[in-house]
Amino acid sequence: MKTYEVFLKKSGKDPFTHAGSVDAPDDEMALTYAREAYGRRSEGDQMWVVFRGHVLVADEIELEMADRTHKHNDGQLVAELRRATSGNES
Amino acid sequence: MEEFEDFLDAGGVVEPNDDMPESYRNAVFRFIELHANSEYMGGLTERDWIPKAPGMHRKLTALAKTQDEIGHAHLLYMVAADLGIKTREEMMVDLLEGRTHFHNVFHYRVHSWTDQIAVAYLVDAAALASQQAVFKNCSYGPYKRILRRVIAEEGFHMRNGEEMMLLMAHGTETQHDMMQESINRWWLPAVQLFGPDSRPGDELLRWHIKSERNEVLRDRYVQKFVPQLLGGGFVIPDPDLRKDPVDGKWKISEIDWEPLKKTMRNGGPDSARRIADARTAWQNAEWVRKALDSSAQVPA
Repeated sequence: MKTYEVFLKKSGKDPFTHAGSVDAPDDEMALTYAREAYGRRSEGDQMWVVFRGHVLVADEIELEMADRTHKHNDGQLVAELRRATSGNES
Repeated sequence: MEEFEDFLDAGGVVEPNDDMPESYRNAVFRFIELHANSEYMGGLTERDWIPKAPGMHRKLTALAKTQDEIGHAHLLYMVAADLGIKTREEMMVDLLEGRTHFHNVFHYRVHSWTDQIAVAYLVDAAALASQQAVFKNCSYGPYKRILRRVIAEEGFHMRNGEEMMLLMAHGTETQHDMMQESINRWWLPAVQLFGPDSRPGDELLRWHIKSERNEVLRDRYVQKFVPQLLGGGFVIPDPDLRKDPVDGKWKISEIDWEPLKKTMRNGGPDSARRIADARTAWQNAEWVRKALDSSAQVPA
């Protein structure tokens, strides 16, 4: 038995999402089991089934450590400056 | 542990590869394994009624429900296996050897089609209520995600059950009497599904696996189902059932939990037959598993 991860895509604009996993002896049976276990009621119009050993898992610490501060602008300074500017006009 | 509990109290969600105390890992695993076993045993009972269900439509819904229950067992066994305590096969073998447990309601004999309706209506509703209470605030991520799907499908079963019960309620006198007989058999097991009152220090509650105490869920169930059954013209098999004049709530008689404890240790009236039946089903399908495994090894 091998473990496979199942991803489903529902209505047009939604991305693929992880539905769960199945055990199967080979790829063909994995597709069958995945359809039976996760798509019995047309839960997805597309399905990806991936052998778990082929899923590359990123380092969580690296992801958490990514410095985001200079990649966002919360708009606070803009709001302050706008207020100051409109104050000048009146 | 204190830090971990603070994390859980703050709404933290645990994933399979996260660090977690072994006691938490074991508690979550045991809980999911019990749930998976119960879905599996329930699916086998449902399967028994496919040929006996009256009419094509009921056969099809019984078939759909069987597939759902076995499907739930599959999903839950996958989630349980990822906790790294037992493989899926080890869990199956433990169940079939009577070493692990499943819900009380699958330890009794289903005598008639109306029994099967009572199970679908009363028991499925109790199971759904307890699953919803887990789903609400469950700290173990994969279980919570899979419960969303399980609950949606259990809702379908419960509606079918209510529909069939109401048809019997509005049916002939014989049908009404048959339904009453089944309610007599299944009312108490359904109420007992919630278990005895939760212990004060219940870890499942502290670790946000369960979100409600057993007695709260049981009481809510009684308040909902007593009026429904009375409305259908049925009698509730509890001579001490009464409406409290102060708070207007339905009160059931004290439950003797001793028989339940024995039942849960696989010593119920139909436990041995059901486990043997499940074992036969597993053995009969062995050639399929072997054929699939050996064909998978042949290079294309």
